[in-house]
Amino acid sequence: MKLLLIEDDLQAAEYLIKSLRDIGYSVDHSPDGRDGLEKATQRHYDVIIADRQLPHVDGLTIITTLRERNDRTPVLILSALGTVDDRVHGLKAGGDDYLTKPFAFAELLARIEALSRRGTALAESSRLKVADLELDLLARKVTRAGQNIDLTTKEFQLLEFLMRRPGQVVTRTMLLEGVWNLHFDPQTNITDVHMSRLRNAVDKGFARPLIHTVRGAGYVLKE
Amino acid sequence: MAATSTGLQSSERMTDSGHPDAVGPTTRPRPRMRLSTSRLATLFIVIFAVGVTLVLTAVYFLTARVLDNEVDVVINSEVNNLVDDYSRGGLLQLVATLHRRSDGWGRSGAVYLLVENNGFPIAGNLARWPQVVSRYNDWVEFEIDASDAGGAVAHPVRAQIIRLPGNRWLLVGTDILDRSRLASRLRTAMFWGVGASVLLATLFGLSYSRRIRRRVKAVAATCESIMAGNLSQRLPVEPAHDEFDALATAVNRMLETIEQQTETLRTTFDSAAHDLRAPLYRARVRIEESLQHEGLTEGVRETMDATLAELDRVQRTLGTLLQIAQTDGRGRDVPTEDVDVAALAQELVELYQPEAGNRNISLDYQGDATASVHGNRQLLAQAMVNLLENAIKYVPEGGKVQASVRTIGDSLTLSVADNGPGIPDADRARILQPFVRLERDRDQVGSGLGLSLVAAVMRLHRATIELLDNHPGLLVRCVLPIRKQLTAGFANDADAGSRA
Repeated sequence: MKLLLIEDDLQAAEYLIKSLRDIGYSVDHSPDGRDGLEKATQRHYDVIIADRQLPHVDGLTIITTLRERNDRTPVLILSALGTVDDRVHGLKAGGDDYLTKPFAFAELLARIEALSRRGTALAESSRLKVADLELDLLARKVTRAGQNIDLTTKEFQLLEFLMRRPGQVVTRTMLLEGVWNLHFDPQTNITDVHMSRLRNAVDKGFARPLIHTVRGAGYVLKE
Repeated sequence: MAATSTGLQSSERMTDSGHPDAVGPTTRPRPRMRLSTSRLATLFIVIFAVGVTLVLTAVYFLTARVLDNEVDVVINSEVNNLVDDYSRGGLLQLVATLHRRSDGWGRSGAVYLLVENNGFPIAGNLARWPQVVSRYNDWVEFEIDASDAGGAVAHPVRAQIIRLPGNRWLLVGTDILDRSRLASRLRTAMFWGVGASVLLATLFGLSYSRRIRRRVKAVAATCESIMAGNLSQRLPVEPAHDEFDALATAVNRMLETIEQQTETLRTTFDSAAHDLRAPLYRARVRIEESLQHEGLTEGVRETMDATLAELDRVQRTLGTLLQIAQTDGRGRDVPTEDVDVAALAQELVELYQPEAGNRNISLDYQGDATASVHGNRQLLAQAMVNLLENAIKYVPEGGKVQASVRTIGDSLTLSVADNGPGIPDADRARILQPFVRLERDRDQVGSGLGLSLVAAVMRLHRATIELLDNHPGLLVRCVLPIRKQLTAGFANDADAGSRA
């Protein structure tokens, strides 16, 4: 997978690139907005990670320019401004996701992963299936190995969110944003309790668990 | 459980009631501006009318007195001359003088009549003794018919009657037609003068009071808009250059300074955010990168994890602080939409129920099913989350927390009540300020910013926040106006966050 990192903080960029390459991504780096825009328009990337405040051309301008050229490459905005309105402005400009610095590397990874798969998302289907776990969106029914699983509305939404991203790491923040539409971090790790309830419902009594905790990052639903 | 529920019932009662006195600061009366200006105008008109009437009346009476005096002095001296003639030259001399003088009628307007005691006229220019007049020493006024240009006209006459030795009576008077005409003209002039003045005063007073009301209204509207965060607003200055304009100019200068300072503060905050977050970011990235190395001892790993946790804490505090500052300073930039606060509260209660359950705390929602205000969903959610987290954090095991949203009139009351330790009276006001924490909570994790952010969010929504005693426990009550837009001119776009 090819990434473009547009970041003027060279030290941070250096570490990020190294960590991303260690995982196996191919990463290009631009230290300023003009260079970044040039690279973004000339080559194909799976995901562009752009800092919001950049020399010459700022992150939001890069996104709007790309969108005007009908370039739908997913863009993840990094910003030191973390307020509600900043995030909204970023997403309105055509950004696909927004991450406030400093962030955990695991959070960044999970977001890149999610963005890169966005294009290839399964066609809108009324049934989701991971291993022997099936979720019927129309009937609002969940079965595992043919057995009915009773879930509350929120648990159902939570499971749907995970099943739409099989094998992907989903962070707590992504859950709060995606399931509860809350774009801030509460003090307590409030999603953990809900995940453990869901896990109880889905995995209890089955030999092979489907919901896994990824240490320091979040959760993943996989066989 | 039974003991604790009594505490919550009191909260229910308080939130349920919707008493005007229970709502407190929301029922702030609008200032009665209309009354005070029109009262002022009426007072002005009355004072003006009374004043003008008094002045004109005084002028009238003084003028009349002067004219009367003049007439009386002339008559008096004439009488003295005639009495002199009579005493020196006897009746013949007096009659001669009277004949001579009577010819002057019409020129001087003088009236003479000398009669015997039986009323028989001896000399003078009056045909007979006037009927109405008795024969005593006195001043009299009567009317005579005098042929004027064109016909007989009744002329008023003022005269003195003197009894002469020898039992004769002398009447000396003068025509006062001009004087009474003047007086009547004066009265007419006075009537019209007073009328016109009162009319003018009324018109002027009304327009003046309307003008004051209009300007005060304009100032109030501008101030409201400024309070909502639109600091670029200025009070209107009219070309009149009156006291209002002087005041507006001074206030505008003050606003200019405040706007500059706020702008400076805002840029300082933005650069502080950037400059503080950048090193935090680098430190984080570096530690995380190091953690990926193989062969670290468990001790080093733990230290690095703990450092990361500390960094997170610093970042969170910094973030909250910036958010408070920006919520207060950026009213007009915040995207707003219609937010169903009741639905949001129920959703958040549901979100926190398992967490509360783990601590054996009962958390529930009581109130309207839906209740909307115009505001920012994320900020309102964050405020509610802070209140719920606070309550769950401080309520002891087995306690109760209850959230409630209700529409009362044109405001929405959001409250979170618990039966925990509460906040002592003395600390309630200052606990809303940043970094203020209760002494007894020193051991608890927290930045002392949670309630400050709630207060900032409420300020942004023009809401009031009250911390009350829940007997026992804490009752936080926020009253949000429903119909008010946050500011007049900012984008009404829905929160783009809902796209996720």
